Amino acid sequence: MNNRIIKWIDQRFPLSSFVKHDLTEYPTPRNLSYWWNFGFLAGFVLMLQVATGIFLAMHYKADVTLSFDSIQHIMRDVNYGWLLRFMHATGASAFFLVIYIHMARTLYYGSYRAPRELMWWTGQGLLLMLMATAFMGYLLPWGQMSFWGATVITNLFRATPFFGEQVVIWLRGDYGVGDATLTRFFSLHYLLPFLIIGGVLVHLVALHTVKSSNPSGIDLAAKDNIPFHPYFTIKDLYGLGIFLIVYCIFVFFLPNSLMEPANNIPANPMQTPTHIVPEWYFLPFYAILRSVPNLVGGVVAMGLSVMVFSFMPYLDRSRIPGGARYRPWYRAMFYLFAVDMVVLGYVGYTPPSDQSIVMGKIATFFYFAMFVLLPFISRKEEQWLIRRGLPSDVKALVASEAKEKIKLPDQRRSGDIK
Amino acid sequence: MKKLIVILMLCCSSIAAGAAESKLENIQVETSVQAVERGADALMNTCHSCHSLKYITYHDLVKFGMDKKKVDDWRGDQPLDTAVTSQLSDETAIQSYGKVPPDLSLMTKAREGGANYVYTYLIGYYITPEGMTSNHVFPETKMPDMMGISGATDPAQRAEIQTKARDIVSFLAWAADPHEEERHKLGYYVIGYLLVLTTLLFFVKNQIWSRLK
Repeated sequence: MNNRIIKWIDQRFPLSSFVKHDLTEYPTPRNLSYWWNFGFLAGFVLMLQVATGIFLAMHYKADVTLSFDSIQHIMRDVNYGWLLRFMHATGASAFFLVIYIHMARTLYYGSYRAPRELMWWTGQGLLLMLMATAFMGYLLPWGQMSFWGATVITNLFRATPFFGEQVVIWLRGDYGVGDATLTRFFSLHYLLPFLIIGGVLVHLVALHTVKSSNPSGIDLAAKDNIPFHPYFTIKDLYGLGIFLIVYCIFVFFLPNSLMEPANNIPANPMQTPTHIVPEWYFLPFYAILRSVPNLVGGVVAMGLSVMVFSFMPYLDRSRIPGGARYRPWYRAMFYLFAVDMVVLGYVGYTPPSDQSIVMGKIATFFYFAMFVLLPFISRKEEQWLIRRGLPSDVKALVASEAKEKIKLPDQRRSGDIK
Repeated sequence: MKKLIVILMLCCSSIAAGAAESKLENIQVETSVQAVERGADALMNTCHSCHSLKYITYHDLVKFGMDKKKVDDWRGDQPLDTAVTSQLSDETAIQSYGKVPPDLSLMTKAREGGANYVYTYLIGYYITPEGMTSNHVFPETKMPDMMGISGATDPAQRAEIQTKARDIVSFLAWAADPHEEERHKLGYYVIGYLLVLTTLLFFVKNQIWSRLK
């Protein structure tokens, strides 16, 4: 009976071959560490945000006179409305945390290198859409920080050459952030997640073409690949359990720790809060914006600070496999960069003082210097490592995994070893 | 990599930690019905003539378990599902104080330091050497010293005012987050369930992976 139904479907839709190709026979490196769980977790959080968001939208009212009250209606009167709202608000932070770890893993293990550049770039596009969605969602509660955050950020478009003023008005739909801005942000906040889902599908199709990278940085031979299902479905589920425990601690016990107190005051265009801060996930980029004294320069620097990651496949000139694992210089850069991010985050959080401004400038300089120096450092490091000889375990691994490699016209940028 | 996680965690917690300012007094907010009811009583006598709690209705107070007779006293002839709004009109408020007194429904969530801030503010009134009343936490405040702490010199009287202020803050903390207790209770169940589920998943994972040579 079952077989007959599947056969009927298979004649009309590639169900069995899809399951085979992408699950039960999809080859996955068996040496993946838990750092490879975060892609699945990002997908899960995306679904969680869509699900909670759809139900929140049933009770939310996008209207400057009603939205703050409608959030309180959700928090107080709607059955388990507080749970939906805290899940959604905490989910935004969880999403960024998971994505940042996912990106950090890619950078650490050099997974952005050939042939996975398109994965890295679609991921970059997804990050931009995620940032836009989070930014627009933050306006919806119509609190003080919502209003002033949106005012400050839309104001940045004044830096557009020739018609900056008009672009800002066009974005807001009014001279200031108002009802027109709120309704369009709500509409786009509902739309973008579905575009993100589309982007994720592209990301996954690319993944299933090039297959997962792995901690060794070497394409593994068939003997070291195992089917995705059941080995990684269960590993992902176990990782999901751990993630949900941390997430639920925040949802149930610390939900307000991720919210700005000022956002519990209804938006008031006549009164600027003493200190406007974005959510934690934007702090490093906000610090870069503030560290450049001129508006256009600041906006360009901030845009570049997010987009510069795209150049990684070209900036990293080393062919040594395994990302930071077998590359001590690159590893040091990775950790220094992480520390620099935290310094920038701190600078973005504190009100500007003489000291923090200097700190921000140094950290911003350092941030870009890393990317500028990477081509030279990575090439020198490669020469140094080759002169010194690869560690014997890497050599042994390369020899044992010798198999046909994806042939690329430009071997220089490949993470493969000849 | 591990460092990065720790760092990101620190990033989150520093935001939470930033709320706790050193100069604020740390108080334990009470959640019992009696304490919250005492707080509501004090608030109705001291604050309610000027401040509203527009997201709280008298019915919410009864549902929470407060004495129905007391609530009836507070609401007078207004229907039970009326919001707790003050009698002071905005025009009169602006004439007398220069601004409309803020709504108190979310007060303990709307200030850095939360309940500690509101408590320290309430008992933070003092008489300046020039003989004016001022406040340690919020010197620009337009609110008069309703609790009378600035004039109280007797330690027993000060302690009494502090207790009253703590009750008011306990009530405000409940008003700002009425589902907190329910949230915590549900949270223990959810996390307990997840701990069991994750442990089982861990064993299933080990069992499945043990099939590999």
